[in-house]
Amino acid sequence: MKPEVQLKLQAYLDGELSSGEAKAVADLIARDAEARALLAELTHTCSALAGFEAESKLPESGEFYWSKIARDIQRQERRSPERSPASIFALLRRFAVPTSVLVALLLGLLVVKQQLGFDHRFAVLETDTAQVDAGTFTYRDFASGTTLVWLSYPAENEFAETDPAGTINWE
Amino acid sequence: MADKDHSATDDAVLVRAAQQGDMRAFEELVARHRDKIYARAYSMMRNEEEAVDLSQEAWVKGWQRLAQFQGDSSFTTWMTRITINLCLDQLRRKKRHRTESIEEMDEESGGVERQMPIVMVNPTERLERAELRVRIDLALSQLSESHRTVLVLHEFEQMDYKTIAKTMRCSMGTVMSRLFYARRKMAALLRDLQKSG
Repeated sequence: MKPEVQLKLQAYLDGELSSGEAKAVADLIARDAEARALLAELTHTCSALAGFEAESKLPESGEFYWSKIARDIQRQERRSPERSPASIFALLRRFAVPTSVLVALLLGLLVVKQQLGFDHRFAVLETDTAQVDAGTFTYRDFASGTTLVWLSYPAENEFAETDPAGTINWE
Repeated sequence: MADKDHSATDDAVLVRAAQQGDMRAFEELVARHRDKIYARAYSMMRNEEEAVDLSQEAWVKGWQRLAQFQGDSSFTTWMTRITINLCLDQLRRKKRHRTESIEEMDEESGGVERQMPIVMVNPTERLERAELRVRIDLALSQLSESHRTVLVLHEFEQMDYKTIAKTMRCSMGTVMSRLFYARRKMAALLRDLQKSG
């Protein structure tokens, strides 16, 4: 008997087949003695197991068992006594950590790109910009001619007033 | 609260009290169901010490997660699920530290169960309940962990194939194959035990 047929027989016994499949298996059982024998064996095993799980008793006293559970609960509660701060921390960790990782990755990418592909002349220019305002971060893609300026303070500051677009004219 | 007698209180009432932080109510729940929870851990681990440790861990986790218990199932079913998951984690950890047994490799590659002769008579017929229980327990102990687990989940926990696959993190095909092997092996073991007994 093919393995798939054997598993179908088992699924039939367990009521895991659709009505169409169950009908096909029932037809097979009716005409195939081997299928009937296998089904009988599986059925005997199932009925032997049903309700005959060994009754395992806890091998130690209930008091001792509970004392260890209670001690563990108390120890873990001492470790994290307040649920609310833990939740806030979890929330912070959930959002702040991925954001920080993303920003770090972007910065790393910028540094690598600057070191690998940029003309020294432009690098000097960018350093000057950073010295002008430490709260500003500038990225310029020379290949596409794009300049991106990242301001770490609100747009109404003096730098933004002089240049509403928030970009630096490098030339 | 500490002196309150909970012995006649319903499980559901005890759970609600425990959810409010009443440790005595939780202690009563542990006292009522500790044997069942331990028995499930033992049926999966087949080791008293591990079963005690894991069942205790399950109770600690149960206390910590009580707020999540909505009463969709009985409290014991919920606790049993926690226990099963802890046992499965432990079995996975142990498995990572050793190579697969020949038996398990056989199963993956098509299996010896395909060639086993069919047991024609019911090997458990005319056995006393206590005797049958002992033989089943002995036969179960001779199965590999993965086969025993799938059998326990299906026959004793009444889980369907899909739930077992989800719980054991494997495919439905693997569940069916393992269950088939486990049953055929059980039939052979029970027959052998009948012969030797």
